[in-house]
Amino acid sequence: MMELKTAETILEVRDLQTHFFTPQGVVKSVDGVSLTLKRGEILGLVGESGSGKSITGFSILGLVDPPGRNVGGSILFRGEELLNASEERLRSLRGNRIAMIFQDPMMTLNPVLSIKTHMIETVLAHDNVGREEALARSIEALRMVGISQPETRIESYPHEFSGGMRQRVAIAIALLHKPDLIIADEPTTALDVTIQSQILSEVQKLCREFGMGLIWISHDLGVVAGLADRVAVMYAGRIVEQGTVDEVLDSPRHPYTAGLIGSAPAANRRGARLQQIRGAAPHPLNRPEGCAFRTRCDYATDMCLKEPPETAGSRAHRWRCFHPLADAQLETLP
Amino acid sequence: MTDVFAEVRNVSKRFSSRPDFAERIAIRLGAAAQPPVVHALDGVDLQVRRGEVVGLVGESGCGKSTLGRIIAGMLPPTEGEVYIEGVERRTLAGQAARRARLNTQIIFQDPMSSLNPRKRVIDIIGEAPLAHGLIARSEKRAYVEDLLVTVGLDPSMAGRYPHQFSGGQRQRIGIARALAVKPEFLVCDESIAALDISIQAQILNLFMDLREQLNLTYLFISHDLSVVNHIADRVVIMYLGRIVEEGTAAQIFDSPNHPYTAALLAEIPRIDRRHRTFQTIKGEIPSPINPPSGCHFHPRCPFAMDRCRMERPALRTLADGRKSACHLNDLERRPDFDLNEKGRENAS
Repeated sequence: MMELKTAETILEVRDLQTHFFTPQGVVKSVDGVSLTLKRGEILGLVGESGSGKSITGFSILGLVDPPGRNVGGSILFRGEELLNASEERLRSLRGNRIAMIFQDPMMTLNPVLSIKTHMIETVLAHDNVGREEALARSIEALRMVGISQPETRIESYPHEFSGGMRQRVAIAIALLHKPDLIIADEPTTALDVTIQSQILSEVQKLCREFGMGLIWISHDLGVVAGLADRVAVMYAGRIVEQGTVDEVLDSPRHPYTAGLIGSAPAANRRGARLQQIRGAAPHPLNRPEGCAFRTRCDYATDMCLKEPPETAGSRAHRWRCFHPLADAQLETLP
Repeated sequence: MTDVFAEVRNVSKRFSSRPDFAERIAIRLGAAAQPPVVHALDGVDLQVRRGEVVGLVGESGCGKSTLGRIIAGMLPPTEGEVYIEGVERRTLAGQAARRARLNTQIIFQDPMSSLNPRKRVIDIIGEAPLAHGLIARSEKRAYVEDLLVTVGLDPSMAGRYPHQFSGGQRQRIGIARALAVKPEFLVCDESIAALDISIQAQILNLFMDLREQLNLTYLFISHDLSVVNHIADRVVIMYLGRIVEEGTAAQIFDSPNHPYTAALLAEIPRIDRRHRTFQTIKGEIPSPINPPSGCHFHPRCPFAMDRCRMERPALRTLADGRKSACHLNDLERRPDFDLNEKGRENAS
């Protein structure tokens, strides 16, 4: 943790806004997201479905398709603005300096191409090397993610691998160019616990070894608690709270974060009623004015009709709430 | 509490494709191999007592859903018997068979694919009780509205279609539909897996409330150990078609006996486990087409001995009343599993 303070900031997102212009109206999927990431740091981006966490990831890579569009903000990657970068420039960065891992590797791997073709093409897309060297690098990458006998298995096709192995291949492809930043969108959600653990252990090791920045998008606070250095909680297109994992999970200030922590079964006594957040997330076309969480919040007042500004606590801990939970209130939480 | 509601004895289920005429000739002539057989369940014994919640846990392909479907009567077992209230399911006929079927209802994972998108909620919930003569046509609206209130939905929504509801609300509709025929036993097959965390908590609370109000018995199938730990009285751990350990929630979660249970528990992501160094059990889950010999878990087990490779361990009752299928229990001094993170790190 000490070295992180001096490490280079590789990503700085400021007030990012990505909106979708649908016939039914404007969906503000990402509505003012700011975050930073240092080399070697793992940031967990947590939220429920529709909170905008995946679109935040797509926006950083410039992968938002119409009717979606970036309408404001800034994304600085190692000091370079990505939002108005040319498509050519983005292409040279994607898969090279910034890589992405998706939830379902069956959707991202081409079923009629062998793993070898996938990997060699990825190497050749950015580096001017011979096929021999590309193959050697591919085999090395497979070995790094814990695939045994990579020399023979590289000839296989995606369907010949299990779900966990496919995800390892996807990670190996992302690692081919030793990127500075990896964005992982729910990469272990579809996997079994024991396999998830294997993938997490590989990812953690690789991040530490190569000093990559990693944004781990997930709905599972438990995974993020074990893996990440910092966590950002999203709700309705905004980051409502962020800080180090210990700050946010031990002393959450935003009632939504506290609610999420409280509704995890592990946080409750066996057989007791779970603490629950009432209601459901608002429809993205029809979000409440001001604080989007106020309709489900026990602490909401008239004040919450206005948008809460970002409040800074100790160190990296920040939240957007007019009625942050005090330490005394936290004691009533399990 | 010794009143057994449902019981399976030595149940096995194998799935295979039936070879067509040409393939049968090819097999006869030795030109083709027999079609592969998936061993989904392999000699499973399980009792569900009246009024209890049994949690059935395992990873994908372990046969937990197949077992749930066999108990619910949706699938016939290849071998073995299923007893519902002491009567073998296949010996039931006519009225009694129908009553047994109605008495056990199943709630699925994905409410969008288990609700007919072209029917209104009032028909989705009201159709079965009407068809089975539990209510008269004139009572349907009041009956459905009552059920909607029971599961925490606004009764004025009865005229809407499934797509007009959110995921959590749809799952409530699925629960109301199951309750409509007044079952005593609910099989919940990953019923909350597809829901967001805050909604999961709501539905879990609903299951617990319903249990108290209606005296229900549950078989709660899930891959999520922390959910099962919370809701279940008794927990059954499955691996590749066999039960490896069975005991009260406290026994299983506080002091697991089987190495697989211990490994699973060590892998659960939890909010209070920070900055972990992930240590994992090695290997993949083997294919149920060609399961390993002896104890199915031996290729991944850190304590495997020669005997584990040869001989299938029996599911035996131990001194504290739980059941476990592991040869380590025959050793004079069995190795300790350290569930403590630090211990695991030091050991490696």
